[in-house]
Amino acid sequence: MATTAHTIDPGDLPRAMLDIATSLNDWVIILPIVLCLMGGAFLLLVREWRGAQLGLTLVFLAAIAALEAQLFVRVLTDGPIAMTMGNWLPPFGITFAVDVLGAGFALAATIATIVVVISYSADTMQREVRYGFYSLIMLLLAGVTGAFLTGDLFNLYVWFEVMLIASFGLMIIGGRKIQLDGAVKYGFLNFLATTFFLIGLGYLYGLIGTLNMADIARVASQTNSPAMIAVAGLFLLAFGMKAAAFPLNAWLPASYHTPDAAISALFGGLLTKVGAYALLRTMVLMMPAAREVLDPVITTIAVATLLLGPMGAMAQTNLRRAVGFIVIGGIGSVMAGIAISGLFGVAGGGLYAIHSMLTMTALYLVAGMIEQVTGTDDIRRMGGIYRASSGLSILFLVLVFASAGLPPFLGFWPKLLLLQGALLDNDGLLVAAILINSLFTSIAGARIWAHVFWRNGREGEAPNAINPDLKPVAAAVKRPTIFASAVLVALILFLGLRPNILLESAQIAAVGLVHPDRYTAAVNLEVPDK
Amino acid sequence: MLEQVLAALVGIFFAASIYLILSKAIIRMLLGVTILGNGVNLLIFTLGRVSREVPPIVSNGELQPAAGFANPLPQALILTAIVIGFAMFTFLLVLGYRAYQELDADNTDTMRVAEPKDAPRPPLSY
Amino acid sequence: MASDLDLSFTLVALAPFIAALMAPYIFRFLKEYSSWALAIIPAAIFIFLLSFLPEIAEHKTVSAGFAWITALGVDLNFYLDGLSLTFGLLISGIGTFIVLYSGAYLKGHAHQGRFFAFILMFMGSMLGLVMADNLIALFTFWELTSITSFLLIGFDHSREASRRAAIQALVVTGGGGLSLLAGFALLNLITQHWNMTDMFAFAPALKQSEFYLPVLLFVLGGAFAKSAQFPLHFWLPNAMEAPTPVSAYLHSATMVKAGVYLLARMAPILGGTELWSTILPIFGGITLLWGATFALKQTDLKQMLAQTTVASLGLMVMLIGIFNEAAIIGVVLYLLAHAFYKGAMFMIAGGVDHSAGTRDITMLGGLARKMPVTFIATILAAAGMAGFPLTVAFLAKEEIYGALVETDVLTLFSQPQNLIAALVILVGNALMMAVGLAVLIKVFLGRQKPTAEHAHENSFSFWVGPAVLGILAVLAGVMTAFMGHNFVAPVASHIINQEVEAHLHLGFDIVTKPAFVLSLLTWVLGTLVFLVIDRIRVDLASLVERANISFDKIFDWLMFGLVRLSDAITRFLHHGRLEIYLTLVFLMFAAVFFGPLFLMQVDWQPLQMPQLHFYEWSTIAIAVAGLAAVLAARTRLQAIVSLGIQGFSVAILFLLYGAPDLSFTQFMVETLSVVILALVMTRLHLDQADIRGVSDRMRDGSVAFISGLGVTALMLLVLQGNLDMRLTDLFAATSVALAHGHNIVNVILVDYRGLDTLGEISVVMTAGIAILALIRIRSGGRQTGIGALKPEPRKAPK
Repeated sequence: MATTAHTIDPGDLPRAMLDIATSLNDWVIILPIVLCLMGGAFLLLVREWRGAQLGLTLVFLAAIAALEAQLFVRVLTDGPIAMTMGNWLPPFGITFAVDVLGAGFALAATIATIVVVISYSADTMQREVRYGFYSLIMLLLAGVTGAFLTGDLFNLYVWFEVMLIASFGLMIIGGRKIQLDGAVKYGFLNFLATTFFLIGLGYLYGLIGTLNMADIARVASQTNSPAMIAVAGLFLLAFGMKAAAFPLNAWLPASYHTPDAAISALFGGLLTKVGAYALLRTMVLMMPAAREVLDPVITTIAVATLLLGPMGAMAQTNLRRAVGFIVIGGIGSVMAGIAISGLFGVAGGGLYAIHSMLTMTALYLVAGMIEQVTGTDDIRRMGGIYRASSGLSILFLVLVFASAGLPPFLGFWPKLLLLQGALLDNDGLLVAAILINSLFTSIAGARIWAHVFWRNGREGEAPNAINPDLKPVAAAVKRPTIFASAVLVALILFLGLRPNILLESAQIAAVGLVHPDRYTAAVNLEVPDK
Repeated sequence: MLEQVLAALVGIFFAASIYLILSKAIIRMLLGVTILGNGVNLLIFTLGRVSREVPPIVSNGELQPAAGFANPLPQALILTAIVIGFAMFTFLLVLGYRAYQELDADNTDTMRVAEPKDAPRPPLSY
Repeated sequence: MASDLDLSFTLVALAPFIAALMAPYIFRFLKEYSSWALAIIPAAIFIFLLSFLPEIAEHKTVSAGFAWITALGVDLNFYLDGLSLTFGLLISGIGTFIVLYSGAYLKGHAHQGRFFAFILMFMGSMLGLVMADNLIALFTFWELTSITSFLLIGFDHSREASRRAAIQALVVTGGGGLSLLAGFALLNLITQHWNMTDMFAFAPALKQSEFYLPVLLFVLGGAFAKSAQFPLHFWLPNAMEAPTPVSAYLHSATMVKAGVYLLARMAPILGGTELWSTILPIFGGITLLWGATFALKQTDLKQMLAQTTVASLGLMVMLIGIFNEAAIIGVVLYLLAHAFYKGAMFMIAGGVDHSAGTRDITMLGGLARKMPVTFIATILAAAGMAGFPLTVAFLAKEEIYGALVETDVLTLFSQPQNLIAALVILVGNALMMAVGLAVLIKVFLGRQKPTAEHAHENSFSFWVGPAVLGILAVLAGVMTAFMGHNFVAPVASHIINQEVEAHLHLGFDIVTKPAFVLSLLTWVLGTLVFLVIDRIRVDLASLVERANISFDKIFDWLMFGLVRLSDAITRFLHHGRLEIYLTLVFLMFAAVFFGPLFLMQVDWQPLQMPQLHFYEWSTIAIAVAGLAAVLAARTRLQAIVSLGIQGFSVAILFLLYGAPDLSFTQFMVETLSVVILALVMTRLHLDQADIRGVSDRMRDGSVAFISGLGVTALMLLVLQGNLDMRLTDLFAATSVALAHGHNIVNVILVDYRGLDTLGEISVVMTAGIAILALIRIRSGGRQTGIGALKPEPRKAPK
């Protein structure tokens, strides 16, 4: 087992530390997380200073976004970068390793958070602020960002837990009955998902004795022993659950519609994508051989999620619950990317997740505005918005077609990559599922559109009946909400029309995951000589 | 063969906790959560391989721990996991308490506010 | 490096979209004059495109554009040859009149600005579609036409019929579009190109390859849906719910021809095979007969025209399928003829509706004197529809029949395929002619019906379009040399990929040609049908009534079936019962272990009898007993004490196996848990006893058992291997020397893996905030009872 020598001359010590200190430049990797945590703690300290909370939060978020943007550009041009805390050599210390995938996800998450914070600012109630609303937001982002930037699997678990507990807090802020009910389901099911992750980690450590992602990739990427398959299966189970893939996605439609819409937007944009990200990392980067064995399972999950997501949306009468199912359908696309793997699949799946972060956030925000304008969350009792507001109509329509993956909207480009990947794989089932998902999402969106926007009155009333509850948009919705949502939709529209930068990044990210040489090289592993 | 016995014990912990978590009563589910946490900790501990009685502590004046020392890494991981698990447990407990207060139910079967039993059917019109 | 040409093409492509964005504002300022201002855009585009005519007539092509998405090799490039120019001119030319017409037709409508925006956006998409060389660009514009068409069909959004028609169109054409996308993606994978001009070279190889069939079927799926081929035709007549300018423009002159355009455009890549010449004529032929027959059944003018549009599309698809020189020349001529007369006819129908207040042909009559200009336009359009000499439709018909008849009509009898085709076309044309005559004669001639009393000639904007198109329908038939040189030859040459000599002329020798007999037969049959059209209509209507089935009903049945199915599945999967969700989770959990362990070859090493000390066995036994006691607990105290027992046993186990730190922490946490639980339990007056029935317990017990078994099994398997102790060895070697700590666990926590601890602290802090929020923020009557809808406005959901 361990070395037995009792006295060792320090000169004989194994190489344990980096010879040179981490350059200041590389500290930027961890800075976003540090800022999130500091922000969370600081906002809690000054929580009685309510007027400044929003401003401070935005300052922190802006700084984080700027850092991440710089980081993103850097990894895009220079390739992955890594740093290890305490100057320990990887895999002995905890490494933070950033590639295009992680930096891109982190940046998108921060953008979505900023939009949500701005759009919610006018509606946040004072006591919620006092009880740490903005702290929770920062801590949630800390968990999410940590998950995207870390290069250590156990550390990833810790960030998952930070994210989870922060999301618990946000889920119940407001304290309505429906929230508590949703939180119970959300709480227990998600607790189990992270526990499964921890169990998988335990097995993985028992199997190969390391926790560093690059090290795992080095040791385990070609292993497909039964034990390794089971470990990969545990990760698939845990992250699939977090990502809300079929069949363990019940927690999402049970809870996402219960808090205020801005919180739904934050969750819809961020949380499931962390699961998706972890799947890409583990399945594609670390255990490709095991993924190969699990391929039929993943394909089945992808197909079922692709189809059942939009079908669920068709079956809902609660608007935000319907949006929740559209989120699930999008996760099907990411799962399809993992099932296809290869360059097309990974690029498509990763890009779809980015698209989903932005689009689903916006969709929830717009759904929230619709609820405010109509005073109900029941699709059948809505109606008349098309007459009343061109602006809201445009926002919703763009988002529906973006989530359905019709060109020239953002969702189309990842869909195209996935389609080509599935065709290359000769996987007819997946091709059909990807296409039918688009069709079903269009149908679900068009049905909502017909009922909520086109129809003037409520369901079952005469064609000329006017919805009596309809309030003027300007009166019902606060300006920051409209502004932030409109900016986000404009961004989605712009990125749909000029997707080149995203597509190039996705391709680079895919190469980085499928051929992780640059990633492992950046981590600078201390490899035992054999 | 020590580890194999512990592996069996871990299985028993898991079975017991899962049986409790499935029990519909939130308070029993919470007991299950605690036990599951213990089971997972034991699992990590066991899979890090087990030896008897030598803690991973370097005695004064020594540079390395005594031979046959226990693997410290799983212990460190478990320490982190215990604390996190406790935080989770506390939150879920308070959540269950509040849910009981607000929803007047300890039975998950009857907690159906977010997904009501008689949820309306989707409209069959355009 | 954008040259002037690239720039001007891009501007032309963008102009309609920019105009569309501005349309609502322009409307706000200019009100009823806005149509005049906006019509400048299509008119300018028309003139711009017309300037390329001489060049194109020389069989040259024009390419322009710029790189769009370099990552995928996708360009936003435009390619002008005879085919795209002809379509472009039709779109912009007819578009000009449509914009003017819309201004008059929707006068006083509150959302006219919105309408202009949609129609201009459609125009831009359609122009882009026919000019794009890149398949992705083409597909983008293709889907944009579907979207704008969706919005335009649903323009009269308060009626459910409009909404239904819009969704129907979106589902059919959008679904077809997805099939098309699959075809395009496949083409790209095969050829590594997105530009069609680059794909031509691959055509021979592609037609031989195994991918030809899927590509062809995918592309046909898209084209057939868009161009309303049987059995995907039903959305088109329903699309007549749209305002008439939309019907005239999208659902007759332009968008529905996108499918035909695509077939023509891709013919050099995919066309001419036996499969092509089989599928297209069969579907086209059925569509032709179906549409022409159902046109007779209608009483609504727009419906009659819509059904004949379906028929015409069928005819064009059929001809492209036949794919010989005459057939292609025929299709080019027919395309022009149809755009002219059908566009005119629709606008006339709208004008009649506007003037007489109805479109029902049985209620109309004798409008000729009231609406003289419209009447004249109708004569021209109906002549075109009937294919009378001197119209371009006549030329088309001659070519079409000529395509089937080589030397003598009698040769048809030796070629059953051609005979069937000729009969189908003959009958179809005759029926369409009857419909054309009906529109002309029933509406404008004969006795004045009451509806005609208040009828009046409409304003200039109403009749200028039909008049010009009607004149064009004739003029194009007379100016044979001009048409042949500038349009027919360049377009046809592209489609069949060989130089085509347009031999159109207006001599009377046409009469001596063998095909003329078929034209004569068509007119005779058409006239006969017209004479009994009222009876046919009644008979057909009652027949359809009795059949009690229609594509519409099937669509509704499928649509609502899908919704019902979704509802059933979603209810089944998302029932809201946490315990079932959890059961599923643990079943999956167990499957994760048993899948690999059962399905794969596993080398199990035999287990040995463990050598454990007595105190070790005792601790384990106590832990198990504690667990059993928790399960069996019937009182609060029992449960809490039992929980403590298993927790403390774990702590002792940690202590026994060299983890004192863990042990202490475990003791503390376990004590805290027990205390907190006890506190909460005394406040909640809950029964600790299991509330499950026996069957539930059996089920849960089995799930728990197999999960536990799986966990143990995998542990045993993992324990068979040797653990790589690299990390531990290094920690042991450097803990004192480098990290200056004697307790290695602590050193790991604060140094080697310090970040975990940072995260851990964050978790605890966050949990604190969350719990505080949970306890302190109470809802103040903001919610409603369990399971109830929320009738009263709740706190503004953000």
